[in-house]
Amino acid sequence: MKKRHIGALLCTAMIAAVLAGCSGSGKQEGAAGSDGKQTQAAATEAATAAPEKAGGDVTIKVFSNLPDRTSGQGLIEQMLFDQYRKENPNVKIEIEALDDESYKTKFKAYASGSDMPDLVSAWGQPSFLDEVIDAGLLAELNPSDYKDYGFINGALDGFSKNGKLYGLARNTDVMSFYYNKALFEQNGVTVPKTYDELLAAVEKFKAAGLIPVSMDGSDKWPLSIYITSLFQQFDGATASADMQASIKDGDYTNEAWPKVLDLYKKTVDAGMFQTGFETTDYATSMNLFTNGQSAMYYMGSWEMSMATNENIPEDIRKNIGVFSMPSVTGGKGTITDITAWNGGGHAVTANSPVKEEAIKLLNYMYLPENWSKLCWENGVCMSAQDFSKYLTGKETSLQLEFVDMVNNSTNISGTTFNDRGTNAFKTACEDSFVEFAIGKLTPDDVFNKLAAAMK
Amino acid sequence: MHNLYSNKKVIFSLMAPGLIVFVTAILAPIILSTYYGFTNFSGIGASSFIGLENYKTLIHDSVFWTALRNSLLLSIGFICIQHPLAMLTAVKLDKLQGKTEGLFRCIFFIPNVISVAVIAYLWKFIYNPSFGLITKVLRALGYTGQLNPLGAGNAIWAVLLVLIWHGFGWGMLIYYTGVKNIDPVMYEAAAIDGASGSKTFFYITLPLMKPVIQVNVTMAVISALKQMETVYLLTAGGPGNETQFMASYLYKQAFQSYKYGYGNAISVAFIAICLVSTVALNRLFAERGE
Amino acid sequence: MAKIKAAVINKPGRIITIAVMTLVAVIQMFPLIWLLDFSLCNSNEMFTSGILVLPQKIQWNNYYLAFTNGNFLHYLRNSLLINTLAVIMVLIISIMAAFACGRMEWKLKKVASILMVMGMMIPIHATLLPNYVIYDRLRLTDTIWALLIPYVAFSLPQGFFLTSSFMSSIPKELEEAALIDGCGIYRIVAIIIFPLMKASIVTVSIMTYLNNWNEFMLATTYLSSKRWKTLPFCILEFTGQYSSNYAVQFAVMTLSAAPALIIYIILNKHITKGVAMGAVKG
Repeated sequence: MKKRHIGALLCTAMIAAVLAGCSGSGKQEGAAGSDGKQTQAAATEAATAAPEKAGGDVTIKVFSNLPDRTSGQGLIEQMLFDQYRKENPNVKIEIEALDDESYKTKFKAYASGSDMPDLVSAWGQPSFLDEVIDAGLLAELNPSDYKDYGFINGALDGFSKNGKLYGLARNTDVMSFYYNKALFEQNGVTVPKTYDELLAAVEKFKAAGLIPVSMDGSDKWPLSIYITSLFQQFDGATASADMQASIKDGDYTNEAWPKVLDLYKKTVDAGMFQTGFETTDYATSMNLFTNGQSAMYYMGSWEMSMATNENIPEDIRKNIGVFSMPSVTGGKGTITDITAWNGGGHAVTANSPVKEEAIKLLNYMYLPENWSKLCWENGVCMSAQDFSKYLTGKETSLQLEFVDMVNNSTNISGTTFNDRGTNAFKTACEDSFVEFAIGKLTPDDVFNKLAAAMK
Repeated sequence: MHNLYSNKKVIFSLMAPGLIVFVTAILAPIILSTYYGFTNFSGIGASSFIGLENYKTLIHDSVFWTALRNSLLLSIGFICIQHPLAMLTAVKLDKLQGKTEGLFRCIFFIPNVISVAVIAYLWKFIYNPSFGLITKVLRALGYTGQLNPLGAGNAIWAVLLVLIWHGFGWGMLIYYTGVKNIDPVMYEAAAIDGASGSKTFFYITLPLMKPVIQVNVTMAVISALKQMETVYLLTAGGPGNETQFMASYLYKQAFQSYKYGYGNAISVAFIAICLVSTVALNRLFAERGE
Repeated sequence: MAKIKAAVINKPGRIITIAVMTLVAVIQMFPLIWLLDFSLCNSNEMFTSGILVLPQKIQWNNYYLAFTNGNFLHYLRNSLLINTLAVIMVLIISIMAAFACGRMEWKLKKVASILMVMGMMIPIHATLLPNYVIYDRLRLTDTIWALLIPYVAFSLPQGFFLTSSFMSSIPKELEEAALIDGCGIYRIVAIIIFPLMKASIVTVSIMTYLNNWNEFMLATTYLSSKRWKTLPFCILEFTGQYSSNYAVQFAVMTLSAAPALIIYIILNKHITKGVAMGAVKG
């Protein structure tokens, strides 16, 4: 018992050290104090958890969509697994991690076989979850377990079907423009409040030989989210219901739709995105921004850890700001209407031989003082739980800008357009918005394809 | 003695491993594929028998035809660009003699021993429109426009270039062996008759290389049909479905679009096309040969 | 002989030929030199305008990271093991079958050999989907068999073809002498035939290696844990893990290209001969 205790202490001290290393670049004074506290808190928790161990060795196979285990969300996930292993020496955790697209492909391969991993990454969106739940692949969770977990209102809706809960949401994701403050200043650009200002800024950056906005077009979904944002700006407060109605009825006569596509095409033609954006992958589009090649980067709040990532040159990482989709001429929306949703999360598979153990691990990860707190303190992302009590006052300015954006929001999109239908709809939607952007489809082609995909 | 050579038990024991492997790893999956090709199995859950529905869809599926067209383009690229270059290089190389000959032969083959994964990722960087090698070379030459080799319209050519580059050494080596096998007496006789270099090539080298060329052409067509790994890693069939090949398309259908049954129907068509093309090519060459 | 040929080519012609050959060599090699160059740079130097960059400080650390975090040795070991096993199995099975079809007398031997060779025309990826179902039912996914079985099966037709055609050129007299001494068929294959097949064994081994060394589509579909993953995974995993650090990605690419390259340079002559023989016959 004593030995174990010391082990747990050592381990948590190590984690704290790692934490300090990661979040160290923000404000350095006082960091030691908070780390000390954290060590203590974690240690007492470890001590109480240790005696409850069950006998017999258990191996939990985890399949994760976070291949980078050394920074960002992957690091947090890994830390929690390590922590859990230390507290439960009888539990072994085997991790297989692939990037999003490979993950989804392999997930389907697993789903067609009989040997699924136990704890998996999942998305609380119809496009991913519906078929999976219908095939009975995911284990049902007990909602009352999570009463005290502080999930924000509606965060678990995506993972619920017919009143049953099948997974937990990891984050509150907000899609936005990251921008390089220094480049904005050098080129005399201020944060755009309207879309016209944004287009004017595009011209200035192009004249300066910079890429205005770097875009991950090869994954396709960022462009679909861009469309979602534009639709919100045109359609206003009813955007969420209107999108759903369009998908359900295959009816794209809403007057906002042609305007959205028109502006989107105008944006692409104006050269807002880099040459070859349609084939640029996630990492490359981000690297263009973090190496000062582009002035803006269109991506979700889960990349807020750029501000503390030491692989990124200091003059860039310290100068990152963020703004949401500006309002458009003739639109009913305002700049405070934001595109945000609770998407990615974890679930346990129904046929797992170690289902109970996997659920225990899941529940452990989502204890507010674990996922929620660690993510915020490390500047990684905003959890889908109420993390207000973990505000430390030492956040990066980027983190605070995101919090402000959410707190000041007047309207929230919920699940984005592409993820609101079936899997076939998602494919059709994402493909056709890319093909439209490169001039291969007319707006009517797009609407026909979207309607056909839901038949 | 005769007895020993027709001993059924011995024959069976010698053949068994080979046949078992063939039946379990090649024949069984093909049969299973044929079965799934008639269903609407999505990979998970239940499925039902839908007859020839998948094949009807396949005939009207423009991406399938794109994949076939891409294979055809690649075969043409191999036969009309890679092979002539490889053959010329082989003929010239043969005349160098000595250490230089060995050195060049060694260098030309190097891309072939490098893993496809490395090649594909490397070329992804080379093609990058923002900081890739191609862009840098063009900039150095004074070109200021924007070029995205993997973009719409260009991607298939970019893919062809990589495949032609990668396989060059292989083709070269085979032609080189063919050239080496030509009896030097033929060249001597030609030289004595005062034949020029190009005449020697067209009247001696080329006709004598015919069998080698036939083998190489058949192999080029087959490998163009089978293409999968490089294109999957380089473009994943995109943008859109422009650079899809049959193998990458069946993979996409089965594992990305939840159409396992349809994917298997593509597999079956894929096998049929490979068999038919090989047989057709062999026939063609056999007739010509007579 | 060489002298006569050399005499045919005049001096300036030779220089032009060498110049052209050098150009071809540069085209073939430049991407790899580029790879090596940037693998020694800092990631940010990638964004400078130079075609080749002289690194400000050589970043050996890239290789250190690639070596320690990429499971390099583990994957290399798997690759070597799986490929070697595949080669051995292909050799044994194809020599046995070639002997049965070439030397022994039975009715169906023609049909059997056509069947064996037919596999050459069937694309390995067409069996990707059904094999997944089969291996899953047999609980073979994530085991070494999930790779070995298809690798052996799809290299076997070529192996069989090459060994058959080579075996037909071995005179029967040797075996007959052994038969008179009272040797059984198995001993004849093992003691007389096998040693005589050296050249084709080299060829079959090399072709099998080249066929399977690069394969990863099956590997990525059938394997889930690190246990049996092969060398290409070094790269696939690294690009996810170090997505923002290009230089380390370049280092890991160079590193995983190295083993095959080194083997090739050492065995250059044998490989060239082997491939040439295999390709011309196949």
